[in-house]
Amino acid sequence: MTGAPHGDPTAAPRAGLAERQAELVAALVAGGPPPPGFAPGPLAATRAALLRKRAGAVARHWPLLAASLGARWTTTFAGWAERRPTAGSLRDGWDLARALHAERALPPPAAEELAAREALLRYDGLRPPRPRRLPAVGRAGGAVAVQIAGRVRLLRPAPRVSTRAGDGVSDAAGSALWISD
Amino acid sequence: MTGPSGVGIGWRPEIAGFVADLPGLRFVEVVAEGVPASGPLPPGLTQLRERAVTVVPHGVRLSLGGAEPVDPARVGHLAAVAQRLDAPLISEHIAFVRAGGLEAGHLLPLPRSREAVDAVCANVARAQADLPVPIALEPIAALVDWPDDELDEADFLTEILDRTGALLLLDVANVHANARNRGADPLALLDRLPLERIAYAHVAGGAEYGGFYHDTHTDPVPSAVLELVGALCARQRPPALLLERDGHYPPAPELRAELDALAAAAGFPAVT
Repeated sequence: MTGAPHGDPTAAPRAGLAERQAELVAALVAGGPPPPGFAPGPLAATRAALLRKRAGAVARHWPLLAASLGARWTTTFAGWAERRPTAGSLRDGWDLARALHAERALPPPAAEELAAREALLRYDGLRPPRPRRLPAVGRAGGAVAVQIAGRVRLLRPAPRVSTRAGDGVSDAAGSALWISD
Repeated sequence: MTGPSGVGIGWRPEIAGFVADLPGLRFVEVVAEGVPASGPLPPGLTQLRERAVTVVPHGVRLSLGGAEPVDPARVGHLAAVAQRLDAPLISEHIAFVRAGGLEAGHLLPLPRSREAVDAVCANVARAQADLPVPIALEPIAALVDWPDDELDEADFLTEILDRTGALLLLDVANVHANARNRGADPLALLDRLPLERIAYAHVAGGAEYGGFYHDTHTDPVPSAVLELVGALCARQRPPALLLERDGHYPPAPELRAELDALAAAAGFPAVT
């Protein structure tokens, strides 16, 4: 920065602002180092607030994922998202659901939601999901969903491992819904 | 297309039924990025337009404060939405939301520097060139401050408004939040802003945690914010006040009570 003309209106000043804005965003959403001179307390509070807001937005796209994790939702999401910049709420939730599925930590209602999405949309984890043109089957955690002409039906619910309540009504019955995004 | 007037509410799909049932409503705001530029409008919005309710598109992702030029496609979308809603104006923020290829997912503050003023003014001018209606600029609530601010908040905002000729969308809850989190006096800021430039004002709820007041839009409007609405109206009553609620929607009677409290604080007729 030495020798930069001070207060010269013809000098192009944008690089400085652009770089510093990029540093701040990276520190807030991608685990980047704190930009010099920023107070750490407000920076940490902003980072936490962004993660809460993101968790809320993802929960709206993935209601069963969020609901089935219950009180653990916000911390589970925050732990996963801390160093991952958002790819949009649909993909954030999808990536997290797949990660939990790989760890066998995806609750059955969330597995059914994931299976339905896998049947409806083609998603390679890198590019935005696109509608499938042909009939498809989606599977996750024992759940099987089938999509025909853009309509998704859950064929088989994910198995519940909880003890049987004995009332004769499967708790999966209510989740065998037509899901159309 | 009449300008915003009286007490309004942020239209959201989740509360479309509630909003449709407000008999005295003359004004709503809608998140512009959620309105398609073509194809069918959300049905609730069509009904409001049929009732001649003013609908103001409120952009949240233009990034007017970004060092890079605003995306012409985003400006084009705002213009198209303003046109199809027959809006008298659109509003956006004095903030940036992306940089270096990363989306922040939130409105981030600018350094209050000459360089940032230049960047905002250039972007506002780019937007104004393609917008069919005036733009109102909203100062944001932020927890962080840049280390090298050259201007205070009032000078920073006034300079941007003077240079762009834009209207002001003053968010009373943001004024409260910023003052509360910095130990500053919110009235001192009100005394130095060009209040006659306000197109309408925002009011929203928030909550304290972690030692900060957060402008959440998901909590009730605190009494301190309502008092600040009163203080603003005592100085210069804006043409309209708009309640923003973005989640954790309360039962209808509670939301109606908030709208009534807002009307009472400003001396506007109740819309409920």
